[in-house]
Amino acid sequence: MSIANRTTIAGLGLTDVGKVYDRSATELAAEAVRLAAVDAGLPLTEVDGLLVSAGVSGAPKLSLQKVLGLTDLRLLAEFNALGASPAAMIAHAAATVANGEASAVACVFADAPLKPKGSARDAFGKPRARPTGFAAYHAEIGAVTPNLFYALAAQRHMATYGTTSEQFGAIAVGQRAWAADNPAAQFRDPLTLELHQASPLVAEPLRLFDCCLVSNGGAAVIVTSAERAADLAQPPVEVLGWGQAHPGRVMHRDSDFGLRTGAADAGPAALKMAGVDVGDVDLLQLYDCYTYTVLVTLEDYGFVPKGEGGAFVAEGHLAPGGSLPCNTGGGQLSAYYLTGFTPVVEAVVQARGQGGARQVDKTDVVMVSGNGGVLEHHATLVLGGAR
Amino acid sequence: MIERDHKSAAFFDAAAEDRLVIRRCIGCRQALPPEAVVCTTCAGTDLEWVQAEGTGLLASYTVVHRAPHPAYRVPYTIGVVELDEGPWLYARVNAESPTVGLPVRVAFRHPEEGESFPVFEEVPA
Repeated sequence: MSIANRTTIAGLGLTDVGKVYDRSATELAAEAVRLAAVDAGLPLTEVDGLLVSAGVSGAPKLSLQKVLGLTDLRLLAEFNALGASPAAMIAHAAATVANGEASAVACVFADAPLKPKGSARDAFGKPRARPTGFAAYHAEIGAVTPNLFYALAAQRHMATYGTTSEQFGAIAVGQRAWAADNPAAQFRDPLTLELHQASPLVAEPLRLFDCCLVSNGGAAVIVTSAERAADLAQPPVEVLGWGQAHPGRVMHRDSDFGLRTGAADAGPAALKMAGVDVGDVDLLQLYDCYTYTVLVTLEDYGFVPKGEGGAFVAEGHLAPGGSLPCNTGGGQLSAYYLTGFTPVVEAVVQARGQGGARQVDKTDVVMVSGNGGVLEHHATLVLGGAR
Repeated sequence: MIERDHKSAAFFDAAAEDRLVIRRCIGCRQALPPEAVVCTTCAGTDLEWVQAEGTGLLASYTVVHRAPHPAYRVPYTIGVVELDEGPWLYARVNAESPTVGLPVRVAFRHPEEGESFPVFEEVPA
């Protein structure tokens, strides 16, 4: 990409996250956008693009424009690629800014699945309407909820490549160690491999500490040209490359379900656009709805050969002090779950050098993943740290 | 309780008679899962129902310990059953110690209320 159309993430907004019961998803989204504008030092009235992504709450919607009092937008859309939405929205915003179609695009996600009474299960397990036909068959037999489908994916990876639960556990342990230094993280108490192995089985092979948490909250970024960002308040984080892949789910003998994901196509495409390769990546922020997701993404991006992810993570490379720091804020497993914004937020914090006690040394190239559905949607961003 | 719809009527009619049916593309002969509405090989939409042998293996499985909803009694096992004809389907599996690759064969449940449905059982060695 030429100097003339370089784009950056110039503003970042993160609301309170976790058991936040006093604000709706729409209110959280509006708050996140306002925080991002303040963070950037950009008057909200200069935002001329808005991309919104909703979770299980079904909001924010296009009406967020009205809630924010924004007029004369040049880009406005609801965006839905499930958990891949944040990375995909930022890529779309960057392309729009690079083309000169808009100058400052806010991208936002918010959700409020947690209620004061009730469990995380209630937030994501509730059938929305009484199903009929094959959906009723799946409901009858209990083939429902992401936990179960990711368990099927993880089990197949284990059977094919010899991946173990202890190797998944190493990912959870490493991320919890990072979370200790993230004031925004919901879980900061130390986690050991023994505690991981003693945690209850949810759906074999996944244990409780293999699964992400559920959070209420909102996050937003503002994408501008590099030229505009130079006059703004924060160290600009360059958007160097992006890619997407939507493999769907093949229900047939030839399926690579659980073994290879959209990351294998999206990752190399994003790196190529950025003009770098995996060896140049200093820092990883990977979508971690489950520990397994981190492992399979590492393999698909090409950081380790297929099937060797388990042995690699067990050596502690992703944890504090390791050779390939990953999910340095604790990720969705330990910090908070705002779909693909969890890795994006930490990537921006680190790329600016604002990670405090958990700040890593080198952030020239930061790779960020977003994953949606049950491995059906993938979006990758490559970001460049402020220098 | 399973309530049928127009896309699943033939499947549940067959299950009531202890028969497992799947879809097949009339254009390219690709065998497809029962819920397929389009051929994933040639994008054809002319599909027929054909009877499956009812034998296959576990492409994957999970033993569910935390009930997705209080109505489910845990533990229970869900398999991704790879039929000998090729298609995958999600099903309850009765097996003492399930493994990926375990040979299974179909049986049928006939609940008092709602539609009959297939389950899969370990093939005795």
